[in-house]
Amino acid sequence: MKNESKRMIDRSEASSALADIAEIGARVRQSLFYRRTSAMLILWGALTFAGYLGMFVAPSFSRCAWIAIMILGICGSVVIGMVSAKRQGVNNFSARLLVAFLVFIAFGLIWSVALGGFSARQLGAFWTSYFMLPYILLGLWLGWAFVAIGLSVMALTFAGYFYAGDWFPLWMAFVNGIGLILGGLWMRRS
Amino acid sequence: MSELNDIIHQPLRLKIMAALNALPKGKGLEFSHLKKLTGATDGNLGAHIETLAKANYVAVTKAFVGKKPQTTVTATAAGRSAFAKHIASLREIIESGN
Repeated sequence: MKNESKRMIDRSEASSALADIAEIGARVRQSLFYRRTSAMLILWGALTFAGYLGMFVAPSFSRCAWIAIMILGICGSVVIGMVSAKRQGVNNFSARLLVAFLVFIAFGLIWSVALGGFSARQLGAFWTSYFMLPYILLGLWLGWAFVAIGLSVMALTFAGYFYAGDWFPLWMAFVNGIGLILGGLWMRRS
Repeated sequence: MSELNDIIHQPLRLKIMAALNALPKGKGLEFSHLKKLTGATDGNLGAHIETLAKANYVAVTKAFVGKKPQTTVTATAAGRSAFAKHIASLREIIESGN
């Protein structure tokens, strides 16, 4: 074959080349995953920003607003997931993942609504920190950006819960909403 | 010792081919994305992509997204086959103990 020469390399050079190939392959897969999920992060950031801002301005409407936000967020995430998977030529739908997500939401609802009887402030802190938990855990496999975003938002949520006083919803609009948007934009650039 | 594909084995071209082969068939990477992944400069990356394109290992498509020009690089069937053979040769070298 005309493109093949009699170039010879030893075992260590061959191992090094294979390691380079594996490393760049892993980087490509992680980068594509970051790009796929960044749009979802930006969407959730915009929605939670609107939700907390609404909670600050008109607290009486916040329950209805949050239900609408959850529905919009879930539907939007599904659409983004389908579009980006098609664009990148991957099929990453997993029935187990969907069930895991539903169990996760159900567990949160049972504790926050049925058993907990949380106040609006406690609900805000609970759902934000609860949603950041899988970011941190899955981030151990998917990439440290998720761990960093999860830990930062969770820490700032607790700080706001204890110290922000009546400004808590506004604090959360920026910490959670803008935090997720910035995280998503950063992931898009990676 | 096994024979290697010199076009692919050059360090940056190996990275380019490895990155493109990590994608599903027919999918490519934008030039800027490839640049970030490989850590190469514009000129260096462009020159090596040209070498790969001349060997028919990659296809380069240029389009406008809005007003911005966008260059996409995709591994061809010949490129994927050559890359697979190259990996097989590397594994052979390791297994042979040379």
